[in-house]
Formats: sequence, C-alpha cells, structure tokens
Amino acid sequence: MSTELEQRLRADMEQATQGVRIPPGLALKAYRHQHKRMMTTRAVTAVGAAAVLTAGTLTVAGATGGFGRPPGGQQSRTTAYVISRVERALSAPGMTKVIAYTQTWYPAGITLQPVPGGLNASGGPGGSSPERGEYELLWANLHTTKQSAFTATGQRLFDERITIGNGSLATTVVDYTSHTWWTTQSARPAVSGLGSASCLPGGGIRLTGGRNAWPDFIRAQLACGAYTVAGKQVVGGVDALKITASSGPLTLWVNPATYLPMRLEAGGLQTDFQWLPPTPANLAMLNMPAPAGFHQVPPPASGASNG
Amino acid sequence: MGADRAAADLEQFLAERGEPLLRAAVLLAGSTEAGEDLLQAALERLLRHWRTIEGDPEGYLRRTLYHLAADNWRQQRAWRKRLRLLQPGAGAAVVDGTAEVDLRDSLVRLLMQLPPRQRAVIVARYWEQLSEAEAAQVLGCSVGTVKSAASRGLRRLRELSESRGPAERAAQGSARERRS
Repeated sequence: MSTELEQRLRADMEQATQGVRIPPGLALKAYRHQHKRMMTTRAVTAVGAAAVLTAGTLTVAGATGGFGRPPGGQQSRTTAYVISRVERALSAPGMTKVIAYTQTWYPAGITLQPVPGGLNASGGPGGSSPERGEYELLWANLHTTKQSAFTATGQRLFDERITIGNGSLATTVVDYTSHTWWTTQSARPAVSGLGSASCLPGGGIRLTGGRNAWPDFIRAQLACGAYTVAGKQVVGGVDALKITASSGPLTLWVNPATYLPMRLEAGGLQTDFQWLPPTPANLAMLNMPAPAGFHQVPPPASGASNG
Repeated sequence: MGADRAAADLEQFLAERGEPLLRAAVLLAGSTEAGEDLLQAALERLLRHWRTIEGDPEGYLRRTLYHLAADNWRQQRAWRKRLRLLQPGAGAAVVDGTAEVDLRDSLVRLLMQLPPRQRAVIVARYWEQLSEAEAAQVLGCSVGTVKSAASRGLRRLRELSESRGPAERAAQGSARERRS
C-alpha cells in the first residue's frame, strides 16, 4: 500500500469536504418526511382494520413525535463514544509516522531553558497576570524532537534537537542569545515521554525524552478520569469538540472529523496541535544545523525536570 | 412530544455530531447535494428506529449511511449504463465533472469511479480512519472483504491517477486540434 497515496487521498478528501456544513432545517425535513410516512402507514393499516372489524375504535392519531428518549440520555454515550474515537485516532498505526507540530504558550514569568534530554521551565507565573510569556514550537516524530523557544515578542531564544538512539539520547542545542551551541549524549530514561503514567494535576506535563509522546500523554490523561463533551468551540477555524475533565485542570479540543487533538489546556499551559504527514518538507523541520559563526561550548550538567 | 421539540432535539444532535457524518456522506454520494440527501434518508431511518436503538445513535447513523450509499450507487450505476447507450460518443475514460463539481480534488474525483463497495471501504478506512474490524462492522461484511476491497480500491486509484495525466493531456490536445 502506498502511504503517499493514502496521505494524498486524505488530504484531497479533507479539501473536498472542507466547506460542507449541515444545512439548516435538515432535521426538520427528515422529521416531517418520516412523520408523514409513518402517518400514511398507520392510516392505511387503520382503514384496512376498520374494514374488517367494522368498528371505529382504532385511532390513527396520537403519534408521539418519534422520540421516545430525550437526547440528554444520549450524553454519556456520546461522551464515551467521542473519547473512544479520540483514543483510537491517537492509537492509529499511521500515528507513528505523523509529525506532531505543537505550539505551547507558557504563563508570563516562566523561563525556558534547554538541558540534556529535555527542557526546564523555571520561575512562576507573574502574579495573577493572565499574560502569555515565552512559547515554544515543537516538531516530533517517533525518534526525533526539535523544539524552538521564543520570547513573548517572538525573539528566538534557542533550538533543541533530541534524537533517540540505542539506549541513549543525543541532544543538540543552538543558543541564539549567546551565539553558541552544544551537543551531548545521555542515557535514555527508562520511561521516556511526557510523563504518560501521571495524571494531572499530580503529575504535571513532563517534557523529557525524544519521542513524539503527545499521543501517549493524552491517551493516559483520558484514561485517568471522567470527561464530558462540553459542546463545540471554534479552534483554528474548526468547530472543535470541547472535552473537559470533571475534576482536574485539563481541557481538550478535538477535530470532529478526525478526532485528533487540536488544543490542550492544562496547568496554565496552552498547546495547539497540528498533525503533519511525513512529507520531505515537514521532515526537514526536524533538522537543525548550527548557524555559521556560532561556537561550540560544553553542555550544562543538569538533567531535565518538569516543564 | 411535539414535532417542533423532536426536530429541535435532532437539530441539536446534528449540530454536535452531524458535520463529520455529512462529510462522509458527501464522499460516499459524490456531491454535496447528494450527500445531504443521503444523510436525510439516514436520519429518517434513525427516527424510525429511535426507540429500539441500543448504544450510540451515531454508530447506527453511520452504518445506515454506508448501506444506503451502496443502494443509491447501484441505482445510479444502472442509470449510467442506460445513458451510455444513448450517448455512444461519451468515452469511459472521460471524467464526468458535472455531478461532482464541488469535489474538485483529483483523487476524490477518481474515487467516484470505484465500485460502491470499494469506495465505501476507502472512505471508512482512510477518511473515517476506522480499523479493518470497525469498517467491517459498519459495512456489514467480513474483515477479509474490507482488506481486499481496500487493497483493490487503492490499486485502482493509483492506476487511475497514473493514467489520468496522459489521458487528460491527449483530450486537451484533440480539443485544440478541433478548434484550429
């Protein structure tokens, strides 16, 4: 099977149906059509029965309106269904090839710092200010992660590339403030990824490891507790399904067509997702050449901690 | 429960869950208009069996969509055969762009040339991203049938995609010759 053909097919299908919207009144049309059909059937039955019984006791009216169950009764089933589709979308075999492209905004006052095998986020939110601080862009596939950190005003701070090898992590960092770069090998953690075993708020989002662990992290969070589909909200021009945790700080918005996450808010962080096909152009985003004129320095000694 | 309330409930269901179903219906039926008709027909069946549906109604609606689509395609295929008899000049290789004007993308247009079962499998597997087992459940067939239909469908799409370029160039060339 051609992966490229499948990707083209998906992209074409997405484009071809992009502007499709439920026409207003479709439900009413369906209801009226169905109701008319039902009444006609009942009338025919009643006339036939009346002819046999010669009694006018049959009633053809009194239709209940079609719905025996209020839609509210479907809510829990709908939520369970949506959650199962999200979990399935994240577990799809093709996800191992997809490049997760994310943009994460940190609260003002948080400072990002690259360390071997990950990223440190230090400091605390500046008072009760809702202002956004630094942000990072991240591209990740199964074996490689590249993240670029910026100030709130868009000034590039550093790029960090982590590659998983056999039992080790290779980290390379280009620091744009000091015009330096460093590279180091470290032992691969026993459990790499985004703290997939932890449930928020206790666990926090742990930015360690070098693999595209967002799907694992989100799946683990969904398995942690009760969630509710809280309607729709426009995210990136799409009427995304909003999924909120009954207890805890996690809110997830998923694409109603693909069920893949579009946005996640947790612990004061907001992350927007795009799931990119592994085209040459997208794979090139994982590359990170050191700019000319930058000089190499020794790597810092500390390891990754919570982000 | 009155008609207005019932319709409003259904509107709410559609507002929350309708769009992906309509998009699948459009891909199954071949045009936006046909997709809306298909979804409406499936909704009518949903209303008919609303009280007896176990589990999520979306699943029922999805299965109905696929089954109805197969029926419609069979009818359309019969009509196409009759039309072809009336229009001997219309070559089979020429893509009919009239009914699918809103499906401009090449592979989606080629998808409309696949047999109904293959098209349904392709939409289920590669648009809805259902697993083979789930697609088999939706389509009411075996996993083996899904596998073989998906394989044949993709192969056919690849063939059509590869042959489309030269055929279109030839058609454009002959059109230019006729004009000059």
